Amino acid sequence: MTGTWWWKTVFIFGIVGYALYYLVPSWVYFKLPADQRNDQALLDSLIPRWAPKKHLNLGLDLQGGIELVMGVDADKAMRDKAARRSDDLKRLATDKKLPFVDIKPVTGEAQVEVVGHSPEEATAIGAMALEQYNDSFRKLSQSGSSLKLAFQEAWVEKQRDDTVEQAVKSLRNRVDKWGVSETEIKRLRGSNGIQIQLPGFKDPERAKKLLGGTAQLELKMVDEDDKSLASVKDLPPEIHASTEGGQPYVCSTDRKLLETFLEGKAPANDEYGLEKVEKLPPDTKVAPCSVPYYKTLTLHSKIELTGDEMTDARVQIDSQGGMQRPVVGFTLDREGAQKMADLSGGNIGKRMAIILDGIIESAPSFQGKIPDGSGQITLGGLKNPQEVYQDASDLALVLKAGALPAPVRILEERTVGASLGPELIHKGTWGALIGLFLVWIFMVLYYRVSGLVADVALGINGLLLLAAMAMFGSTLTLPGIAGTVLTLGMAVDANVLINERIREELRLGKTARGAVDAGYDKVFWTIVDGHVTAFVAGAILYYTGTGPVKGFAVTLMIGLAASMFTSIVVTRTIIDLLVRTGRPARYAAPATT
Amino acid sequence: MQFHFLEILPKTPTIDFVSKRRLFVVCSLVINVFVLAWCLPFIHGLNFGVDFAGGTEIQVRFAEKPDLNKVDAALKAAGFGQETAQSFGPPEENSYIIRVGRIALMQPADAERAKQALSTTFATQKLVDFHFDPEVGDKIDLTFAAPVPTDQLQKAVAEAGIKVSDVRELALKEGKNDYTIITQGISDKVQKALETAFGEKGVTVQRIEYVGPQVGRQLQIQGLKALLYAMAMITLYVGLRFDFRFAPGVVIALVHDAIVTLGYFAILGREFNLTSLAAVLTVIGYSVNDTVVVYDRMRENQHKFKGRDLPSIVNLSINEMLGRTILTSGVTAISLFGLIFYARGTAVWDFAVAMFVGIMSGTYSTWYIASPMTIWLDEIVRKREGKAGGAGKTEKAGGRSAPATAPLGA
Repeated sequence: MTGTWWWKTVFIFGIVGYALYYLVPSWVYFKLPADQRNDQALLDSLIPRWAPKKHLNLGLDLQGGIELVMGVDADKAMRDKAARRSDDLKRLATDKKLPFVDIKPVTGEAQVEVVGHSPEEATAIGAMALEQYNDSFRKLSQSGSSLKLAFQEAWVEKQRDDTVEQAVKSLRNRVDKWGVSETEIKRLRGSNGIQIQLPGFKDPERAKKLLGGTAQLELKMVDEDDKSLASVKDLPPEIHASTEGGQPYVCSTDRKLLETFLEGKAPANDEYGLEKVEKLPPDTKVAPCSVPYYKTLTLHSKIELTGDEMTDARVQIDSQGGMQRPVVGFTLDREGAQKMADLSGGNIGKRMAIILDGIIESAPSFQGKIPDGSGQITLGGLKNPQEVYQDASDLALVLKAGALPAPVRILEERTVGASLGPELIHKGTWGALIGLFLVWIFMVLYYRVSGLVADVALGINGLLLLAAMAMFGSTLTLPGIAGTVLTLGMAVDANVLINERIREELRLGKTARGAVDAGYDKVFWTIVDGHVTAFVAGAILYYTGTGPVKGFAVTLMIGLAASMFTSIVVTRTIIDLLVRTGRPARYAAPATT
Repeated sequence: MQFHFLEILPKTPTIDFVSKRRLFVVCSLVINVFVLAWCLPFIHGLNFGVDFAGGTEIQVRFAEKPDLNKVDAALKAAGFGQETAQSFGPPEENSYIIRVGRIALMQPADAERAKQALSTTFATQKLVDFHFDPEVGDKIDLTFAAPVPTDQLQKAVAEAGIKVSDVRELALKEGKNDYTIITQGISDKVQKALETAFGEKGVTVQRIEYVGPQVGRQLQIQGLKALLYAMAMITLYVGLRFDFRFAPGVVIALVHDAIVTLGYFAILGREFNLTSLAAVLTVIGYSVNDTVVVYDRMRENQHKFKGRDLPSIVNLSINEMLGRTILTSGVTAISLFGLIFYARGTAVWDFAVAMFVGIMSGTYSTWYIASPMTIWLDEIVRKREGKAGGAGKTEKAGGRSAPATAPLGA
């Protein structure tokens, strides 16, 4: 018996020590004056090297953070819709055996151009399109055998609205997956803007990268036979031409310049994709441009697959070629897998470009048919493995969280102060602490020594709760503090139940020792049932909820787990110790009055 | 060690919780239906906060560092509810974002009048797009085919009988002639309120922005789904651990408590925001806990007193647990007292009061909702068994259910 007691004590001290260890960075964080707290470099230098890095943060209401206003390029989304619509029309026209020369999106506009061999052909396809998509298409103009279709205004309005709404949803998803709780994401009415407030100032660069990355993933086939760039003349001095593997290409350090220069030069059904070269392969003798630069790779314009058809993405380590390299493995949905199987089967030996946010990440060639709809993205550039790993996990995260329906860009970035006034913060925090103190006092007054034991357990409970929150890098807001205190108030309930049961057993004439044993044994399942039901609710809220509800669920579940441990294990160990070391004469049950 | 406990209930009480159960259930039902009806938008509706309904953000710049409490007081005096003021940008700028709830100021009919006026006045420039969102209420977005002087624009709208506070050219999209007309509304009200407090030179309104809700429709639906799943899982767990006759009681009790908590916000017209939602969710977790304690004793007593009818076992269990129920609820309530008495006026005060209401409701529902439900379900199960069992078993089933129905008449 003494053996188990000893182990239990060691276990409890171990857990408390572990909790304290996790609270070290938070301690350092809160010790700093408020205006220095968010200086990441200073914080890193003050946190001891052996300690973990994550700490509790203060939320937007208590200390503010950064505000980003992001603009959604809904026009691009509309142009993409037009491009997809023209593919659909092509298929439809072919199915209905209507002849045509070409059906293609109009460059730079959200329009579809139908070119027929004769005006009648164009009109016929136009009629078909208007019939098929009578809720969205309207005829814009017809000159001879070329007919232009545009979207109806009301429909465009709705689509734009949906695009921004979906962008908000994807951003919310990313923030949730990223694990930064208490981030506010709101839509600015009237403009296509999204306002994001991140608590604290930690790592704004990475935040911007994660939030701003469109994660628009497109797979296109490389046009190996294109030689169009060999005949390009009048190269500006910043752009250089060269060849690679028999294909001519141009390169420049200035992406914008290159894009402007290439505009309209690509052959029909082709386009020039851009690769970013950050570091030259070791065996390069002469480079046409100085790194980092962008170079072209001719692609077929047709989008074969997009990130929408992706169901999962994760970081994998690829050890091909004797080099360990993090890559992003992905899985496609059924339709995507079918497309991929057809595509890879018909193009063995040919290269497919993986394009992320307009830049070719890699262009591997098909080694064989890919039947199961999985693949991997090798990240471009020759960075060090750690950087590649970080990039790969960020990419996997944004791919999994869903691509943004349109490119977003950061319009504005400002720091914002606490949303609550200092007086309200003071009142709220102290109000919560006073409540906790009252519970503490009540337990001692009502249950005396047992109450004190419960209070010790309560203290440990609070410690565990805070440590767990620090471990996740959670953000404390005023409602969060109030909720934490309430969780502790509820945790005491378990001790009330135990003490009342012990009283009941004492009344039945049991000895103190017997009453304690019976008390804990019989109440154990009551406490488990109560905690598990609440935990079930918390788990479901966590899995199905998003944003603030998720954060709430996490705190609830941590609190319940900590409460189970402290109310059953911790108090029992202390009470056992007290009961067993006391003198036998004092085991007697007290009078029931 | 000796156990010295104080006792609130030295003897097990013998209060009759069971016989009046119909009355209490009917009362609870009436209260619940009333609260739900009250929450319907066309009867009264909930006072949704910025989190759910969106709101207006006004960026103001003060001449010198303002006393935020004074800002708070000025806005409260102007009739704004739970507004927030947040410093914006570097501290030496003295810029603040003031967030206030939504007040619609222009009706669609007014907007239509403005549209007519604009398309006739600017026939040559051609009004391409006109957008008015009644949820925003004081802002019209316009697109013209050709540039229009803003002063003429302002005049035209003003002549249509709409007070204009500002016309802005939007430079967000190049090559497009987009304008925004801000009618007199919240920003003026905020400006006036701040000017009275800080003087005309002390404060300038720099920007006004309409923010959508933080919890959009999609998130609301998702949240609701989460709640339903949670309830289903709780039913399942309680059913497996206790008895399926016990399970619906827990769920109905927690629905009851959630509605009563909601009632605090609905009937007193307190702002319903994310913190309020957290209160409702916490009450649900708490309510289950409270009910399980009594259920547990019911289960124990069923084994201990085999042959006693369920109503009397339920009543005995509630009485035996009475002290415990009062104490646990009391201790949890005590943890809220600090906030209730000290944190008046803060965002968490409502949370604390609502939680208090929820805890009281949770205690009540354990006695008068969850327990009667088990008795009823037990009766129904027995009747079914009786019918299914045919003539042979009728006597036995009838004999068992007889004492159960007896106190019902009282």
